[in-house]
Amino acid sequence: VKLTRGPAARLIVALALATSSMLMATTVIPMSVEDLTSAASDVVEARATQSWSQWDAQHTRISTYTRFQVTRRLKGSAPLAVVVRQMGGSAGGYTQKVAGVRYWRAGEDSVLFLRPSVEESGMMAVVGLMQGNFKIVRSATGEIRATNGISGVSTWNAASKTIGTYSGTGMSLAELEKRVRQAAK
Amino acid sequence: MRRIRQYKWLLFLLGGVLAVLAVPAFSYLSELTTPGPQQDRWDFSSAGFAVQWQINPAIGSNISNNGTVSVTQVIQAAFNTWITAPNVTMPITEGTQSNKTAAAFDGINLICFVCTGDFSKEASTLAVTISTSANAVGQATMHGSNSNFVGQILDADILFSPSVALSTTGGNNCGQSGGQCDLQTIATHEIGHFLGLDHSGVVAAMMFPFAPDCRQTLSWDDVAGLANIPGYTAATPVVSTGSISGTVTFAGANTPVFGAHVYAGSTTTADPYTLVFGNASTCGAAGTTIRKSSVGAMTLPNGTYTITGLPADSYIITAEPLDLPVTNDDVSGYPSAEGQSAVQTNFTTRWH
Repeated sequence: VKLTRGPAARLIVALALATSSMLMATTVIPMSVEDLTSAASDVVEARATQSWSQWDAQHTRISTYTRFQVTRRLKGSAPLAVVVRQMGGSAGGYTQKVAGVRYWRAGEDSVLFLRPSVEESGMMAVVGLMQGNFKIVRSATGEIRATNGISGVSTWNAASKTIGTYSGTGMSLAELEKRVRQAAK
Repeated sequence: MRRIRQYKWLLFLLGGVLAVLAVPAFSYLSELTTPGPQQDRWDFSSAGFAVQWQINPAIGSNISNNGTVSVTQVIQAAFNTWITAPNVTMPITEGTQSNKTAAAFDGINLICFVCTGDFSKEASTLAVTISTSANAVGQATMHGSNSNFVGQILDADILFSPSVALSTTGGNNCGQSGGQCDLQTIATHEIGHFLGLDHSGVVAAMMFPFAPDCRQTLSWDDVAGLANIPGYTAATPVVSTGSISGTVTFAGANTPVFGAHVYAGSTTTADPYTLVFGNASTCGAAGTTIRKSSVGAMTLPNGTYTITGLPADSYIITAEPLDLPVTNDDVSGYPSAEGQSAVQTNFTTRWH
């Protein structure tokens, strides 16, 4: 017997997640677009052009660096080229992993919520681990959408005892731009 | 909150029912290292080195109730949950305390509450686990020896953010204003990564990326994922298990589906783990318990899958796309290790 999961089953999933306000990926709490904008010094639309990984000078940590060509600034005054530093990567016969961190490939377009790295001068870091990375994709209908890959999370508001929808979800690029500009005012 | 169903119908072929297989297959749950890819795991054999975790017990004002239950006791309990899991043998012990304050590939598997870095600059990041594995045989291990296989974990550090309110005696509204997160819940999930497990698409699993305020016990899915890692399996299992395998393809075109989440859900109330370990405890209760859950796996690029670690029971097999709440980004290491750009989600959920 073949069946397609219907609305009832989806509701069960939603309810199962109703008390799931904590995302463990590695372990982060979902941030709204407005929260991400507030925490970011710069919000840009950019295309990844180059990526590389290397050990630090002490040979204790591997970091992955991705160079981006900025195509639009939504907040801040980032230069036309920025380098984003992420934990982990592969170098010299070793791999360091941080669960939930995704690395970019050249040619990928993203909306990035960035702030200066506190670990390496001149580098930028993504706000909220990977939450501040909205990948830009074109849907089958031609719509340009942006998603940070952790959308669709239901949240439990303990004060009001209500189930809400995590607002940092996938959305049209135009809507994301609008919300960022609004929050940046 | 799933996306609107679309595209092609899925034809699901069940290749065998509860037949123990000799053919190895990667569980969806494992972290993977290339070339291979190989499952990430510690070498607990005599050829490996002793695996210990070392805690820096220093804490900040963000951690409460340390006087009632210390952070060291919490970490001990969290490790104990995994180490005493059925059907596995993992000789991991507590080492001497450390005063290190930064993650490093240094032979010390650090547990740290005062480490800082880019990850700790917002209250949204609760903890991270940074593991180092070998990409080749013969790599220095920092223990005076060389790596024995690709994917051998050589070092793993768990860092808890000093910017997040944590409690050693249970969480309350984690992530909400004024709330606290349960340290043991977070630690147990992170130790799963420490051991080489990736995220699971099974909602009840400890390794599911989203967790409630309190989840301190393992599920069938976690146990199955752990027992599927080479070198972790106990010589004599506490509960006998078998496997289900098959292939997921698109109907008509008969092309394989890569990255489908396939899981086995029991249709009965039988629970052999309960008979062995007692009833599932509530948060904070002592004892080792295993929660009954579905057990999942991911399809390989050729569409095949093998769900291992299944106690004798009757199961319904379901294939679903990872299109929320768990997505490709939650398991991003899997497609890249398999030479694919992303898991496929252009099909609808089907079950048999």
